[in-house]
Amino acid sequence: LGGDALLPAPQSISILSTNMKHFLTWSPVIVQGATVRYSVEFQGEYEREYANGSWIPISECALTTATVCNVTDDISATVAYKLRVRAELGATRSQWGTTKGFFNRAMTSLTPPLLRVVADGHHLLLELADMGPSFQFRVLYWRKGQESRVQQKVVKEVSSMVHLDTVEAGAEYCVKAQAHVEAIDRSSSFSPTQCVRAQGDTSL
Amino acid sequence: SGELYCSLPNPRNVHFESVNMKNVLHWSAPEGTGDGVLYKVKYAVYGVGKWIRKPECRNINRTWCDLSSETSDYEEQYYASVKAFLNGTCSDWMETTRFNPLTDTKIDPPVVSVSSTDRSISIILTAPEKWKRSPEEESISLLQVYPGLQYNVSVLNKKTKKRWFFSISNNTLVVPWLEPSTAYCVSAQIHVTTPFLDSGFSKELCITTLKDK
Amino acid sequence: SVTEIRAGFRAIKANIQSRDPVRSLSILSHPQSLHKVKSSDRCCITHQLFTFYVDKVFKHCRTEDSFVNRKISSIANSFLSARRRLGQCHEQNNCPCGEESTEKFKQILANYEGLNVTSAAMKSLGELDILLDWMEKSR
Repeated sequence: LGGDALLPAPQSISILSTNMKHFLTWSPVIVQGATVRYSVEFQGEYEREYANGSWIPISECALTTATVCNVTDDISATVAYKLRVRAELGATRSQWGTTKGFFNRAMTSLTPPLLRVVADGHHLLLELADMGPSFQFRVLYWRKGQESRVQQKVVKEVSSMVHLDTVEAGAEYCVKAQAHVEAIDRSSSFSPTQCVRAQGDTSL
Repeated sequence: SGELYCSLPNPRNVHFESVNMKNVLHWSAPEGTGDGVLYKVKYAVYGVGKWIRKPECRNINRTWCDLSSETSDYEEQYYASVKAFLNGTCSDWMETTRFNPLTDTKIDPPVVSVSSTDRSISIILTAPEKWKRSPEEESISLLQVYPGLQYNVSVLNKKTKKRWFFSISNNTLVVPWLEPSTAYCVSAQIHVTTPFLDSGFSKELCITTLKDK
Repeated sequence: SVTEIRAGFRAIKANIQSRDPVRSLSILSHPQSLHKVKSSDRCCITHQLFTFYVDKVFKHCRTEDSFVNRKISSIANSFLSARRRLGQCHEQNNCPCGEESTEKFKQILANYEGLNVTSAAMKSLGELDILLDWMEKSR
């Protein structure tokens, strides 16, 4: 192949973003008997408005054979980004294929947190799956039957067994939680409610 | 400046080691030099730049120099530099990178004290103090230096081997409704979100709840 | 967010500050420290400084190091979104600009213009922790 125009630009370029992890994907460019490689660049609002529309290469996705690139570390501000990818085969390079429209990390889809509720004597404990540094959790809990007296706790750091509260032994308590990302000021939907019975004697 | 011809190898790895803003300059001896090397130290406030000699660290043979007093204003940033001398010759001045006492210090774990009744333990946490020149000088808690300071507390039930974690902003924690005659071990860590600074966890302190009344 | 800006800066602090050999000059902290600014003027000077960094500083900080350039982009775009939030205060007149902050900002610009543009930009970028420390303390 010679010259840029012969190698087609990658198509179907899109961003998959879940829980503040962002991936650029595209369709492979097929050239019989050859290994096509790709390079990816990004442009934030700053580059567009203040740096002459410059583009910044992502070194982890330079000359990659994969058709996906983790752009999480570079999409690191709540502004509008553009991304582009081109195919390369030896000295031949395709035109850039660019994402349609802009991507802002505020558009990421947020899933409810995975949690496990444990009753240990008079103590209500919570195990939360780590969702990454951007996340904190809003936890609601109440005594079953007293749905009007819901209590709330914000858990900023995930450690193995977070102490939620001291509760009445023998009573049943229900818990649900949602993930919150301060950087984009958005929350996930709530997790399914989990109820546990506090063991031990009933006297307080 | 009347300096000798400097052909001695340079001091190496000149850097600040800072804990609770006790800021000590450290370095390694020049390569290949045995005993007898002497050093002198100077420092500068960033933005002012005038080098200031440290008399107490002039012609010393140790490889550290306490600059806590000179770098105690944590709204400033600093450089320090070391020069070596041996048998009439000397090295170049070797500088640190820019030192920011606020972000480049390490923080000790909090001091933990625990008391118990038959069914509860009470934990009191004390954040370390900022380094001070003398015991008479007014104490400044690191809580005043880092307003966003929080504590992570771990409580281990030695019988069940279950460990619980608490995150608190104030310095006291009461854990009620525990098992009587049971050993609980407490450890705590300081967590500052910004600038990002975490102490290690304190040494575990164990206490046994009293017998059931 | 400021936490993300701090994390970005911490990753390149040593690299950026090593490109600034001038110890005797500071853009932000001398001759008069940011910490001396009256609390009533803080919002205004913060907004002015964010504009200063966006308009003047970041574009002159391109380096030969791809990792550093990506972190600078991350910081610059975070400044842009932070300034937008600050701008809302400015529009709602919750961000008064007193004489002191105007004077202080003039001094910062004078410090900046006293150096060639690349040195001034790199020095300003290397002083981000001075700005962040001051913002955190005065929060």
